[in-house]
Amino acid sequence: MTRHVIAELLILRKRAATWILLGLWTLLAVFFAYVVPYALDPEDATGGIRQFLPASLAGTLLDGFPFFGGVFALMLGVFALGSEYGWDTLKALFTQGPGRLRVFAAKLTALAIVLVPFVLGVFAAGAAASLVIAGIEGAPADFPSAWLLLRAIAAGWLILVPWAALGVLLGVLTRGTSLAIGVGILYALVIEGLLSAFADSVSVLEPLTQVFLRANGYSLAAALGASVDSIGSNGPGAYAGPFVAGAQALAVLVASAAAFAGLAALRLRRRDVE
Amino acid sequence: MTQHVIETRALTKRYGEAIVAVDALDLRVRRGEVYGFLGPNGAGKTTTLRMLLGLVRPTSGDAAVLGAAPGSPAGLARIGAMVEAPGLYPYLSGRDNLRVLAGHAGAAPGRVDAVLAEVGLGGRAGDRAKTYSMGMKQRLGVAAALLKDPELLILDEPTNGLDPAGMAEMRAFIRSLAKGGRTVVLSSHLMGEVEQVCDRVGVIRDGALVAEGTVDQLRGRAKLRVRAEPLGAAALVAAGLPDVGGVATSGAMLELTADVAAAAGINRALVTAGIEVSEISERRASLEDVFLELTTNGGGPR
Repeated sequence: MTRHVIAELLILRKRAATWILLGLWTLLAVFFAYVVPYALDPEDATGGIRQFLPASLAGTLLDGFPFFGGVFALMLGVFALGSEYGWDTLKALFTQGPGRLRVFAAKLTALAIVLVPFVLGVFAAGAAASLVIAGIEGAPADFPSAWLLLRAIAAGWLILVPWAALGVLLGVLTRGTSLAIGVGILYALVIEGLLSAFADSVSVLEPLTQVFLRANGYSLAAALGASVDSIGSNGPGAYAGPFVAGAQALAVLVASAAAFAGLAALRLRRRDVE
Repeated sequence: MTQHVIETRALTKRYGEAIVAVDALDLRVRRGEVYGFLGPNGAGKTTTLRMLLGLVRPTSGDAAVLGAAPGSPAGLARIGAMVEAPGLYPYLSGRDNLRVLAGHAGAAPGRVDAVLAEVGLGGRAGDRAKTYSMGMKQRLGVAAALLKDPELLILDEPTNGLDPAGMAEMRAFIRSLAKGGRTVVLSSHLMGEVEQVCDRVGVIRDGALVAEGTVDQLRGRAKLRVRAEPLGAAALVAAGLPDVGGVATSGAMLELTADVAAAAGINRALVTAGIEVSEISERRASLEDVFLELTTNGGGPR
């Protein structure tokens, strides 16, 4: 399996789109977590000046993963599979002999590996931003414990994985990238966003929204220190609930990733490659 | 070990009720031969090749490739293929494209540079595939097919996009690939290509095999065209000759089904019978004539 994953990593690693998405996501994550709220009025921010300091790094950054991060991961997932149809490369991969599911598993593994720098990059950039702010404010530059940081990084990765898997599924279903990205963003913004917004007033929607990626992503972020107040007032990605327990969030995210990947695998295994 | 590298029985692919892309195809490709798969566009060549590679599932019928089910890892490990235009990652270099495929195929890393050199792309191997000409992409596709040093090579229109010199080079290359017991299936609609390269040819029309044999078998026996006076008497005399298999009139000429070696004897017999013979020439159907006869409306199995 290792050689298959190495081959797939070469495809992702040398693709400009991977690095463009990584750069944009890192920039946006830091911009909306630190630059904009600090520049506007730091005392007025939900957590006051404390949320910009290194001690709050985990919660402040995780806040952006379920919304912005999810969409970037979705696009990465779409590109990983959808582009293969556009370039007509699946036939070449599938005739090499390892079997369709092995190729697919290698693609998913490589994608999951590539998501690691997506999390580490944001945490590195966020740490730098929080250090600068601590310096400006003359505040202590103490970071959270290594254990909390590790859990936060793992949670960030886990929030992105199901979105990437959804991107893979959409790429396979639509056999391309454009429609898949359109449908994915529509799902993220309209289906999950609007239904979550109405969940407060329409009680029948609440059980449904509790299995959404967004609800569970934010719930996991909240379990690791992200401020629920901040999540509820965080600009375009604001989310007011419902929140679920951390363990449930973890289970739903893992199950969603498995379900999306499984459906994509089923489709890919059975469908003709024209 | 079976004599046939590829064997299909009533292989059929339908798209919905109306479209029959491949219709009960019985195909047998022998070990070590270069088999030409000829047919007009849309005849079902590529769909057949895709079914043999496991990319497309047949609606009915079955096939065995190198003794294995199409698409099985055991079979694919011994097959190299290029179906239609080669699928390439445009932003990867030619070498990296092959490294990806070699990784999945389990080919030794050294094979990448070896096959690049074999197809004459060694000097451009580090350039991105999107900068390659059509001909270079075709050659990279052939290089990819060779990565596993396969027993069976399936090439679908490999000379597409090549200039005349490149086509000649590719044909010679394909012939050289067939040496050492390798079987090559070459799909094409170019008569010259098939005529020069292939040991046997199968012609497909509307998804069905309408003729199969060596190029000479398909072209049939030569005919002698005879200009003689009077024509009717000449036809009667010719019909009685043992070397003449058939007599037909075509305008002011007789067309005799006979070998060219019999021409002197036929001439002597006609002159002895008081017939004035002013011309005897050989006429042999070209593969293109045969192909057009088989694949255009009104053509049928031979």
